[in-house]
Amino acid sequence: MPQQLAIILLVDVANALEMKTLEGNAYLFDNMKLHGSEGQGTGELVTAIHGSYWRDGSQATEQVLNWLPYSLGSIPPTVPRGYEAERARQTDREALSELEAMVHKPANQGGDAAAQLSHLQQTLGTRVRSTRRTRGPATQKILDVTGNVISYDGAAAHTYPPPVITDIYGEAVDKKIMYPAEYGSPDMVTDGWYWSATVDSTRPGTYAYTMAVQLHRLLLQGGDWTWEPVDLTCESKLRIVSEPKRNAFTKSGLGLLPIPPA
Amino acid sequence: MPPRAKTRDNSRAPISITAVLDAVGALAAGSVRGHLYLYDTNKAGGSTGFGTEELRTRVRAGDRVLWNCLALECEAFVGIAAIEVDRAVIEPERKVYPGTDVAYWIGTVKKDDIDVVPYRIKFLVGTRTEPIVTTLSPTLVG
Repeated sequence: MPQQLAIILLVDVANALEMKTLEGNAYLFDNMKLHGSEGQGTGELVTAIHGSYWRDGSQATEQVLNWLPYSLGSIPPTVPRGYEAERARQTDREALSELEAMVHKPANQGGDAAAQLSHLQQTLGTRVRSTRRTRGPATQKILDVTGNVISYDGAAAHTYPPPVITDIYGEAVDKKIMYPAEYGSPDMVTDGWYWSATVDSTRPGTYAYTMAVQLHRLLLQGGDWTWEPVDLTCESKLRIVSEPKRNAFTKSGLGLLPIPPA
Repeated sequence: MPPRAKTRDNSRAPISITAVLDAVGALAAGSVRGHLYLYDTNKAGGSTGFGTEELRTRVRAGDRVLWNCLALECEAFVGIAAIEVDRAVIEPERKVYPGTDVAYWIGTVKKDDIDVVPYRIKFLVGTRTEPIVTTLSPTLVG
């Protein structure tokens, strides 16, 4: 089984929502530059996939691809899974202990109750209402790009939840070059879903595919903030070649074993 | 009279600059050249050079600028060790996302008439102890 390969879809969510298109607002990467992938970091990625064969010419294995959608200018994906939910709980706890301190203060040392309340409100932040239809990937509280909760009037500074791939289809799927599906990671409680595909590497050629991508727009509806889903699409390509697979670490692979010449 | 610097405006999102680093490529070459892709969130405001090492981020006085980075290999570690820039223009500080040890750098642009201000990013890559520094320069432009 060869190394699984990853395709990163980095979306400028704010600009894509503004312009209502992913064209010019989506940047694609893969880790196959060594195999001849082209257009890294642009919207025109062509992912190179080398066939892999036994010495008698029969197919050795298929290639596995994984897609990882990220949001540009949001809290990075390197924070723990479920970070938004965790921040919502943390700030609830902070607000509770603040409230407790306020309540236990003797009446004559109360200070400015209005100021204390407003501080409490800041600590609590603003919740996003979720409905069946608008249940986004981050339906907890509105966070800014530094991971702090923001209150009602500061909502313009909010961070966007990562884009969600909802389907992969098009030429490469129709021609049975790849078989994509959505899988759940072991972290089922949070949003551990990802798209993966096996690729038939025996039929050289360039094949296009389309990703259906859902972004989320923060909307104020009837006094409640909600995440409104916005569906857009983005195209990319696979190029399957019959060259042998190379070892990414030793950069060799034409011999029997993937070790560099002495 | 020089234009007055605006006060810090927290109600607007900072301009985020994201560095996507091919950690394996950078470690193999000992350089980020050809392995670094820079983006920001101010395309509508006139930033250019997306996806290159020479990103030109359009800023104004009072804008907060936030730097973070992503590894192209999701299992590799990359981080920013320092941002070297004219401190008369901006003083980026290292901060972490609350409750985590994931860092970002943030600063506020101090003045308007900055013309072109080059800067260098020092990256921490994998377990390498010596940071790898940008070779071509990204810039802040006024």
